[in-house]
Amino acid sequence: MLHKLTLAIEANKLTCLLGSSGCGKTTILRLIAGLEVPQRGQIEIANKIVSENGKILVPPHLRNTGFIFQDLALWPHFTVYKNIAFGLSERGEEKVKETVFDMLDFFGLQEQAEKYPHQLSGGQKQLVAIARSLVLKPEILLMDEPLANLDVKLKHKILEHIKNLNKNFDLTLVYVTHDHKEAFAIADKIVVLSEGKIEKTGTVEQIKKSENAYVSYFLEY
Amino acid sequence: MGRGSIGYRIYTITYLSYALLIVLPIAWTLLSVFFTEGSLNDNLGFLDKKILLLLGKSALLAFLVALFSTLLGTMTGFLLNKTNVVFRGFFKVSLLIPLFISPYILSVAWKDFFFLVFGNSGFISSFFGVGLVLTTIYTPLSMIITGSALSNINKQLEESGFMITNFRRVSLKITLPLIKPALISSFVLIFIFSISEFSVPAFFGVKVFTTEIFTQFSAFYNHSMAILQSSLLILICILLLFTEGKYLAEAPFLSVGSKGTSNKTYNIKNGFSLLFLSGWLSISVALPFITLFIQSFKGGTDKIIQAVGLLKPTFANSIGLAFTGALIITFIGFVAAYGTRTKKGTSFDWLLLVVFAIPSTIFGISLIKFYNHPFLDVIYSGYAIILIGYAGKFSFIAARLIGNAMKQLPDSLGEAAQIEGISEINRLRKITIPLIIPSLFAAFIISFIFSLGELGTTIMVYPPGTEIMPIKVFTIMANAPQSLTSSMTLIVFSVTLLIIIGFYFLAKPLVKDHNSYVQN
Repeated sequence: MLHKLTLAIEANKLTCLLGSSGCGKTTILRLIAGLEVPQRGQIEIANKIVSENGKILVPPHLRNTGFIFQDLALWPHFTVYKNIAFGLSERGEEKVKETVFDMLDFFGLQEQAEKYPHQLSGGQKQLVAIARSLVLKPEILLMDEPLANLDVKLKHKILEHIKNLNKNFDLTLVYVTHDHKEAFAIADKIVVLSEGKIEKTGTVEQIKKSENAYVSYFLEY
Repeated sequence: MGRGSIGYRIYTITYLSYALLIVLPIAWTLLSVFFTEGSLNDNLGFLDKKILLLLGKSALLAFLVALFSTLLGTMTGFLLNKTNVVFRGFFKVSLLIPLFISPYILSVAWKDFFFLVFGNSGFISSFFGVGLVLTTIYTPLSMIITGSALSNINKQLEESGFMITNFRRVSLKITLPLIKPALISSFVLIFIFSISEFSVPAFFGVKVFTTEIFTQFSAFYNHSMAILQSSLLILICILLLFTEGKYLAEAPFLSVGSKGTSNKTYNIKNGFSLLFLSGWLSISVALPFITLFIQSFKGGTDKIIQAVGLLKPTFANSIGLAFTGALIITFIGFVAAYGTRTKKGTSFDWLLLVVFAIPSTIFGISLIKFYNHPFLDVIYSGYAIILIGYAGKFSFIAARLIGNAMKQLPDSLGEAAQIEGISEINRLRKITIPLIIPSLFAAFIISFIFSLGELGTTIMVYPPGTEIMPIKVFTIMANAPQSLTSSMTLIVFSVTLLIIIGFYFLAKPLVKDHNSYVQN
């Protein structure tokens, strides 16, 4: 449950929503995506109201957002190529093959094109999920704890990729995590949440120096 | 699923059609007895001592069958799902056969067996004989329910028990309590099936509550009395159902390739387990089949040839009807499951469950009473009424099988497609359906086999002159020589078995393909 939450996310920056389990960070992400409806209040994307008082005014696929789910949601019956190409083909885009291979190339996944998700490593799956979202050229990329199941080494590698995303793809990134180290490594701006409320908003340095009791407590662990 | 979407429209149309064609006849028939002037007063004596004793007898029979079936089913379920006993795959498939064979076929086989060995059918044509046959039929159901629950126990729960005590104590104190809902569900479902069963006691000439209802209806034409008695049975079934309703509505045991959790397997000595499994397989499958075989060929091949001649005109009809029925049932099951999955509400599921619990004969009576009107003659005098009967009886099973498969799909798979702008219909076609294909196929096969052997409702509603396998055998068996009945039954048994084997081999590559990409 979110309480009287007002949050503005800066364009072309990487904003991290940081907080412990159940604080509402995933709900915020799903509200932005249009997968949940706010009971009250409104959500605006690029000066356009997309949800308002229990109504979805702009459906998820017209919000120009991408979503990386915590479980990645790679379609298990599609190959890597098909996973990335599916959205393009369904939208009737031209040059699907070329676009998909460009994307595979960017993430170093060419050799995995014909493999199924279960034949990939954890890191490769992560990259496919990101590639699948980016191929549709979203303006906003929403990431829900995408690195939760990776080991530390791989996490760092993928974090580097994510860090460069908004530069390479001209993106606004919203990244949800409960790990402050992850947030400190990539964020332009951090929003610390607790029990559906914002505790503190600021840059990495501002958060680190914050005297807010909850923030200090949260950063200790 | 938005209100204007195609998915919503299909759901609404299917729901309303089901309510109108299947639920309304039952409600109308029951209510008409209570609200038609005179009929309730005329039959107020329906609860006399004789009827109550008969009901008590049926309840005792159902209790014993439910108890022994659950006991035997749990033992087989345990051996096949929790141990490393050899030939597990073979036993898992072959022990299920009695569940898919019409009860009257097994009744004929058992009667033959007693004639063959003891020269008379005294024991089997009795209360205990009916109990024995019903136990062989319903043990596989318990095996599925408890086996599924056993294989879904997280092994760490049992392993932490082994840190403290021995195997026997862990089984009694941890494993069995963990599958208590499955044990209760198994008992309740088998009780309902047994108390509603008509064909086995009717064949053996054992008078129980369902045969009394049938007599009132078809011998005395006392429809009001039959319906009043039926309402008592329905009340018992529904009350029982509601005690376990929530668990049954979710019915986790009706699933194909359930992921489950890591399962603890015990290393056991094969001797006793193999003896038990082979013994039960012999009693429930081999013995009936061999007996029918011996009886059919005792006097040469004449009777078999005669039986083939009699049944030949029924094959195309029976298979065609069962096929069409299975398609309709799978569709209804899919729509109901999809509705629940997309949070349209669970009332469709509950309707399916309630109709499923209503005894076949009573369901049949309701359909006759409702559709026997000149303007509904197109349904009453054709195959439509049989298909409606199939859909009412088996849609619950299909809905559960498909619903459980859908439940195993993470929401995010559909949401990821939604964000990419994939339409609802295309999400269904390209994401959901390919991922639940084995369950759709299983729902179709099970519906097909059940429809092929359905007798309880069909015998009440079949239009005169209809040529269907179970009806043909059941109507002929009263006056035909035993060897002809055995031959006909053997043919139906073999056809059903061949179809099961055929479907098994058809399904194998499908499930294998599916499993190869749905591993993680």
